[in-house]
Amino acid sequence: MSEHERHGASLEKSTKDPAVREEAHSTWSREVLSEIRYKAEHGTHRIRGCGTPRPFPGFNDLTVLPSQLTRMAVDTYREPCETRTVLGKRFCTQPLVVETPILISGMSYGALSKEAKIALARSTRMVGNSINNGEGGLLPEERAESYRQVVQVLPSRMGFSLRSIEAADALEIIVGIGAKPGLSGHLMGSKISKEVAEFRQIPEGIDLHSHPRHGDIFGADDLVIKMEQLREVTDNRIPIFIKIAAGRVREDVKIAAKAGADGIVVDGAQGGTGAAPVVAADHMGMPTLPALVQAVRALEEMGVKDEVSLIVSGGIKDGADVAKALALGADAVALGQSVMAAMGCTVCRRCHTGRCAFGIGTQDPELRARLDIDTAAKRVANYIKAMTHEAVILAKASGKTRLRNLEREDLRSLSLEACAMTGVPLVGTDFTFTEPFGFF
Amino acid sequence: MVVVDAATLAKRELNRKLNSLLAEGERSIEVHNPGSMHNLGTALKGGGEITVHGSTGFYTGGFLEGPRLVIDGNTGWYTGDNMLSGEIIIRKNAGSNCGPSMIGGTIVVHGNTGGRTGLGMKGGDLLVLGSTGRWCGQMTMGGRIVILGEVGAGLGESMYRGLIHVRDPQAEAKLGGNVEFHPISADEVESLAQLFATHGVQADPKSFMSVRPMTSGRHHYTIFNPQLSGADGR
Repeated sequence: MSEHERHGASLEKSTKDPAVREEAHSTWSREVLSEIRYKAEHGTHRIRGCGTPRPFPGFNDLTVLPSQLTRMAVDTYREPCETRTVLGKRFCTQPLVVETPILISGMSYGALSKEAKIALARSTRMVGNSINNGEGGLLPEERAESYRQVVQVLPSRMGFSLRSIEAADALEIIVGIGAKPGLSGHLMGSKISKEVAEFRQIPEGIDLHSHPRHGDIFGADDLVIKMEQLREVTDNRIPIFIKIAAGRVREDVKIAAKAGADGIVVDGAQGGTGAAPVVAADHMGMPTLPALVQAVRALEEMGVKDEVSLIVSGGIKDGADVAKALALGADAVALGQSVMAAMGCTVCRRCHTGRCAFGIGTQDPELRARLDIDTAAKRVANYIKAMTHEAVILAKASGKTRLRNLEREDLRSLSLEACAMTGVPLVGTDFTFTEPFGFF
Repeated sequence: MVVVDAATLAKRELNRKLNSLLAEGERSIEVHNPGSMHNLGTALKGGGEITVHGSTGFYTGGFLEGPRLVIDGNTGWYTGDNMLSGEIIIRKNAGSNCGPSMIGGTIVVHGNTGGRTGLGMKGGDLLVLGSTGRWCGQMTMGGRIVILGEVGAGLGESMYRGLIHVRDPQAEAKLGGNVEFHPISADEVESLAQLFATHGVQADPKSFMSVRPMTSGRHHYTIFNPQLSGADGR
């Protein structure tokens, strides 16, 4: 047997040996091999729903310091803690007032079923927060059910008009989203039903790759003039937010603030979506935690932190995340993936197929019928209520009578990585390295 | 007729004044000294005609709903963005991205326009008597664009819906992706003739061709296009 033949035999034996085949390989994992095979077969990149499954440093890498002798705790069950939140009061006359700083972020009718959109809108009436219409127009049913309605100004302007502005409690100019920053919206043909196609003015069943840039905003200078226009159209009545994906956050936030935004939404790399190229979801953007810190630094450097509302999104999952985000300087958080999970989503990452078994991310009439709107609305409201409870519990234990009084001094980093990224001192020390976050 | 001196007013004051005059039923308003003001004519509503003597800046007539806005000069970028109805007549040239996301109404440009004319437009008519730049009609979702002069490259790139009429002899070679180039139909000739008659345009509708979205509606994109040097790749 030649050396070549021996090598072949050995290789054949090893690939048939279950023990060898199941051995974990740091580079050629099953996921990597699956990716390679897909590309080899199709000659194109892969699309996936739900954003990235990659682990990122997050709010779990921080801990909240309790009040003990340095300050007094507030009674969890018998004393009040203010959760009402006012957003976007910088230049408008009617800021967005919500009863909890937990908002529902933009998810389109198209990516989600009509039943899911109505359920989300209905939930806002139970907890007093806001829903955001997402791309593709504002469903009349959503507007009728919502407690407060944010309307997105998207590059495609699908379904957007003066009428949408008139129906809005706040506008949100979308520059990018965390799950696919720099890319356009993707809505796969399986979800473009006749009704969705008519709503968006596009042909039925096509794979939609919508506009990646605003046709009427080609740069920061234009944005300044566009903001003036929208101020005029809204007569300064409602707040105008600008949403950016977390990239060069410090610079982008300063540009947005300079352009006159009442609020800035920073969407971290953990953000979800109905469909995105895997390579973009996995390899672009900054995680939510450091993005928030960069945004706060930027607004403080400009001296407008108290004027410009800061909303953060991307992987927010519980009340601890909310409390820590507020302590770092956010005014509110926005949820997408997690409220879908509250309705029954299992984060299978196949939203782009349109075959959501729970009737959430689908336009199939049979699948849609599986989602009970009242039950789903109640579950989302329960989830947000429970998250608010959790945030309040932490705030009161830290001696706060208002959620917004949580501050960065209430936090410590649990890892060197989080310490380096945030400038919050490492637990057990009063020290940080890299750029301190302002309180030592 | 009412004359308004724009030099004496901030742009919001000017637009408020114009809307106020239109609401009072004024049918003819003349605006002097526009000074290339941005956002002139934002969200004007109702009937009546406003004639601006001079050039205007960006976003002229954005969100227009009803009136006829005549610019006796040039306009900057994004003229008529998101307009719902009414007319914008530009006696000279318009900058790039003229009529982006317009939903209805008519824009007539007597001169030339820059690139991306009618980008993402959803309805209405956009008539350019001169030439236009690259990517005219990119990703339109409705409406009709008519270009009498030359067009740039990328014509109609990835249109979803809508129609572009051109008579540039080189137009077919300048088509963008995901569109088709057809002879103009009899119905389109008739409709185009009406548009020309309405706006006093001297042109033969039969001399135009039509650029339409792909019949299938299913777009194809080329992200990587290797330019191989020969049949054997050497």
